[in-house]
Amino acid sequence: MNEVSAVQFSPDTVSLTVNGTARAYRGDGLRRLADVLRDDFGLKGTKIGCNAGDCGACTVLMDGAQICACLVPVGQCDGAAITSVEGLGGASRLSDLQRSFLAHGAAQCGICTPGMLMAASDLLTRSSSPSRSEVEDALGGVLCRCTGYQKIVEAVLDVARPAHIVRDGNVGARAAKVDGPAKLMGTERYGADGIPADALYVRAIRSPHPCAKFAPGNLEAFVAARPGLVRALTARDVPFNAYGIYPNIKDQPVLADGLARYRGDPLVAFVGTREAIEAIRDEEVPITYEPLPAIVGVDAAKAASPLHAGRDQNVLADGGVTCGNIEIVFGSAAHVAEVEYETSFVEHAYIEPEAGWAERKGDTLEVHVSTQNPFQHRDDLAQILNLPKQAVRLISSAVGGGFGGKLDLNVHPLVALAAWLCDKPVGYIYTRPESMAASTKRHPARVKAKAACDASGKLSAFWSHAELDTGAYASWGPTVANRVPVHAPGPYIVPHAKTRGTAYFTNCPPSGAFRGFGVPQSAIASEAAMDTLADALGTDWLDFRRRNALKAGDKTITGQVLDDSVGIVETIDAVEPYWRTWNNAAAVFNAGSPRVQQGVGIACSWYGIGNTSLSNPSEMKIGIAPDGRITLYCGAVDIGQGSNTVLTQIAADTLGIAASDIKLVMGDTALTLDAGKTSASRQTFVTGKACELAALDLKAKLAQVKDRAALRNMPVDNHGDVLTGHGRFDPPTTMLDEKGQGVPYACYGFATQVALVQVDLDFGTTKVLKIAAAHDVGKAVNPQQVEGQIHGGTAQGIGLALMEEYIPGRTENLHDYLIPTFGDMPEMICRIIEAPTQHGPYGAKGVGEPALISTAPAIFGGIYRATGVRVTKIPVLPHRLRAAIRAKEGTR
Amino acid sequence: MRPFIFERATSPESAIAAFHADRATSFLAGGTTLLDLMKLDVVRPERVIDINALGANEIEISEDRLRLGASVRMADAEAQEELRRRVPMLTQSLALAASTQLRHMATLAGNVLQRTRCPYFRDVSWSACNKRLPGSGCAAMAGFNRQHAVLGASDACIATYPSDFAQALIALDATVDVVGRRGRRQLPFAKLHVPPGRTPEVETTLAPDELILGFEMPIEPWMSRSLYLKIRDRDSYEFALASAAVALEVDGGAVRQARIALGGVAAVPWRAREAEQALIGRVLDEASCQLAADIAFAKAQPREHNAYKPLLGRQTVARALLQAAAMEA
Ligand SMILES: Cc1cc2nc3c(=O)[nH]c(=O)nc-3n(C[C@H](O)[C@H](O)[C@H](O)COP(=O)(O)OP(=O)(O)OC[C@H]3O[C@@H](n4cnc5c(N)ncnc54)[C@H](O)[C@@H]3O)c2cc1C
Ligand code: SF4
Ligand code: FES
Ligand code: FES
Repeated sequence: MNEVSAVQFSPDTVSLTVNGTARAYRGDGLRRLADVLRDDFGLKGTKIGCNAGDCGACTVLMDGAQICACLVPVGQCDGAAITSVEGLGGASRLSDLQRSFLAHGAAQCGICTPGMLMAASDLLTRSSSPSRSEVEDALGGVLCRCTGYQKIVEAVLDVARPAHIVRDGNVGARAAKVDGPAKLMGTERYGADGIPADALYVRAIRSPHPCAKFAPGNLEAFVAARPGLVRALTARDVPFNAYGIYPNIKDQPVLADGLARYRGDPLVAFVGTREAIEAIRDEEVPITYEPLPAIVGVDAAKAASPLHAGRDQNVLADGGVTCGNIEIVFGSAAHVAEVEYETSFVEHAYIEPEAGWAERKGDTLEVHVSTQNPFQHRDDLAQILNLPKQAVRLISSAVGGGFGGKLDLNVHPLVALAAWLCDKPVGYIYTRPESMAASTKRHPARVKAKAACDASGKLSAFWSHAELDTGAYASWGPTVANRVPVHAPGPYIVPHAKTRGTAYFTNCPPSGAFRGFGVPQSAIASEAAMDTLADALGTDWLDFRRRNALKAGDKTITGQVLDDSVGIVETIDAVEPYWRTWNNAAAVFNAGSPRVQQGVGIACSWYGIGNTSLSNPSEMKIGIAPDGRITLYCGAVDIGQGSNTVLTQIAADTLGIAASDIKLVMGDTALTLDAGKTSASRQTFVTGKACELAALDLKAKLAQVKDRAALRNMPVDNHGDVLTGHGRFDPPTTMLDEKGQGVPYACYGFATQVALVQVDLDFGTTKVLKIAAAHDVGKAVNPQQVEGQIHGGTAQGIGLALMEEYIPGRTENLHDYLIPTFGDMPEMICRIIEAPTQHGPYGAKGVGEPALISTAPAIFGGIYRATGVRVTKIPVLPHRLRAAIRAKEGTR
Repeated sequence: MRPFIFERATSPESAIAAFHADRATSFLAGGTTLLDLMKLDVVRPERVIDINALGANEIEISEDRLRLGASVRMADAEAQEELRRRVPMLTQSLALAASTQLRHMATLAGNVLQRTRCPYFRDVSWSACNKRLPGSGCAAMAGFNRQHAVLGASDACIATYPSDFAQALIALDATVDVVGRRGRRQLPFAKLHVPPGRTPEVETTLAPDELILGFEMPIEPWMSRSLYLKIRDRDSYEFALASAAVALEVDGGAVRQARIALGGVAAVPWRAREAEQALIGRVLDEASCQLAADIAFAKAQPREHNAYKPLLGRQTVARALLQAAAMEA
């Protein structure tokens, strides 16, 4: 047949230009451009967040137009000119756009940054001075989970007149990120970027059933029949097949042993070449299943037989706080408000899927992963593999977003096990669906709350119970169940309280740590109760809150006397002008617009910095070499929030040197000391203090040395340093007694946010127009980064409030699971309040989690004002709000 | 992914010639649907024919006709100033879809042939999906069906047809220009897609070897009074919960012609012809627009989680009509 001659056959060779250099590609024309750029051309600056067109992390220019490199077959690039982030500035030079991103702090974790830069370059070649809405449109196809997009828009708008880049900032300076240039040039190495070219890969086969008995069939035969596969792994290959956050609760298997407890539970795994493991179809793997009825929801959990032995009614944890006597007060209160809310599973949706690799070196193992928790993960891996701790070295890569989701083990146990058994480097990169199916979630919570005040408007009692769906394994469930009752009433003086948090096992994905550890869910209920009480009194919502807000010297419901740093009233004062102006403006708007209505809401929050009543020390080390070079050995992992920069600023300021003179070693268990987890907003407060102490220690030691020249003759240690300063800090807390009384945290961050929202009554759609956020951070070591945290936290708060709902098996991609885009973000006003704490470095507390807690309740207040309804199932998707509005209008 | 053969066609003839009926063959345009579904293992072609180089890139606008080549990128059609002015509904339906990157890649023919976003269709770990595996059942029926269709669906499949642009085409009475082994033919756009019925795996009337070359439609001056209104869960980069493409010819206050097409709510591109009829001769006000909207959804069949759709759809249609009525034509 000659028909083939009419067709140009599969291009073995594709000629293209990449960043101005002619390149040739030989091979499968259907491979995706993103893979070819990364793996064949070594241009790792192009990131892959979803491989599906949903996230835009892979955005490059093709003949000048932005496209998703993950959806372009390289065969279509013949003759094309491709520009990736590496082609923007140069090996050592930043382009104007990159400089503007650096100056504005537009990159946090940096994983979306190459895509943002490319989308922005496409725009800037078409229009040199674009408008804000043009920027939002052009960059709208790139998702960012960290920044809330604000600083990115500003950076693009300002390219023409670049802002000043602060390189050597002391404490308080808007210093540029020390790791910013690497993130902007695309040279930063994330979990997937360092996997050696000759590595094998491992991949888990995950349960398609929420609950099922299963039995692997003949996996050896399966492996033997497929060239490229090296071996299979099952539960039997794991020396100690259980891990978990708590020393006494190791309930999660590396590979399930006969029982799958959630859809996504890893059952068996295969090791082989990348092509071979990717070619495996799950349904072809010989595994027989016996599906069992699944426990869905906490009510089912209470009635079902225990998922884990000994867990009666499937209760994992039950925490509570009691003070005074609420029964008496509720009986005689002037006003009582009762509310109930139910929230959904929420996915972290960091743009970097979990990734890493491991390599065996004789009797030791080196593991490179994207993690928030290097030291605990090292210890867990040692336990899993039955190795001494010193035999495992864990090195954290740059982390492309974490938000709590990378506090648990993910790829680590399987790469470690496979590398150990196969004695070859082994990598693992989760696909987006796998990341979403396997990783932990924010706990769905059913929160019931009841609050009372007297006739003068003083809060008198508060009761609440949060029932939390903790999913299949413990993960961070107990932490959440304990943190919620402590924070439940919000930052108010409440003389009588009884609060409780209960976490139940179900056959859902494990719920774990997610920015706020349950407090965002419970604040939705308590703040709604405050609104309701204020309305019952006929008092302004803001005035009611200010009147009841905690002040220095007041007692919390755990009996803790707040003796330093209580900035809540200042945060209320700071947003008051916006509250008043926007309320007036909304009233005017509403008078002329019957079907589209505006409303303003307000919410206050507090957040204990560091672990709840548990020791959580950080240790830091700063060394000086014979030539005077300073190295900061930092066990704290920067997950985008900026601890690398903040800790460098603290060290520099304390030592009295320039930040650029400090070299940083991060998250390497062989080189750094344990600075704990990047969680609980603790790194600036706890590790920052340890860093300050280390710097002071080094300073004192240096004072003993006659002059700098003397350093040259001193003996060096195994890091090459002659002197080392040590610092250790563990925030002073006490255990809570059986009534929850004690000092759970050394300090608290406080915040108030006001939201102006607009609701279309016919469609039930909500648009957040403006948010004013005032946060008491103790001391803003770097105000630009504080703003970045507030913007990003607020964006996550908007997602939680209005769109994010993870449903196992149905939303495992970034398109069915919606996170806010450029267009969803309001105009944002940040006010930083500095009520210093005596405990933290330079008075600093934390802001990472507080940033998000107030947002959703403020939005719900605004929706209520706009519509007169409260939707009690969160997120408030259009169909839910519309149903509530209709129900109200129908009865009118 | 499976092993495949990748070929590039430089003309429609060579593309058709490369088509082998004995092997699962797919045409590849922008790839934004096809590569995605291949990665998900939902479609498993053994042979992929790249049709990007075969031409069909024309945008021809005359006094009274419009022709859009099949390979025209969404972004290029959307950027046409004249089209934006003369048929705003058409360019709006493109601009409100996907993201800038995707619109740079995606073609018009690919857009109308994109597959449903039903999560059970797109995830092969669900065993019941009649569209993917004929006869296997429909997981959405008793499952999570918030996004699913309330019009034109069947007991075998309730998947929503996802394209925005197709709603503009059906509203504008477009025809499709098609070529295949048996020659070239024109068919009304409304005849391109078939409702799921008992065979949801069959989505169009195209023969497997048939290629779309382009879309043609009459354009008339009154079509400047048209718009595309899209309601979604988030503000950008998201498919419709409900949408309406509407165009109105108004004469002395009364409607002479109306075009209404509905997105996000139906199993195929959906023209609400009875609703259009009900408007003819009437003055556009709250009552007439609401009436047309009610008629458009009179036969809606909601399921457990999409019971909100008929109501939301009605509001969308009514609002779109009122907005179009208020436009300067
Ligand atoms: C993240 C994301 C968001 C999206 N959002 C939206 C949205 O909001 N609204 C919307 O309408 N769409 C949306 N889409 C869908 C997108 O518009 C389509 O994927 C795209 O238009 C398909 O065009 P393509 O050229 O890439 O098609 P391809 O993927 O190349 O092809 C799609 C199908 O059409 C067939 N085909 C293509 N051209 C021809 C031809 N000439 N003749 C015969 N068969 C042909 C192919 O064989 C294939 O089966 C979204 C897609 C993604 C990935
Ligand atoms: S609705 Fe259609 S596409 Fe979705 S599961 Fe049912 S048959 Fe499959
Ligand atoms: S990786 Fe290409 S869009 Fe997400
Ligand atoms: S900085 Fe955008 S995802 Fe982290």
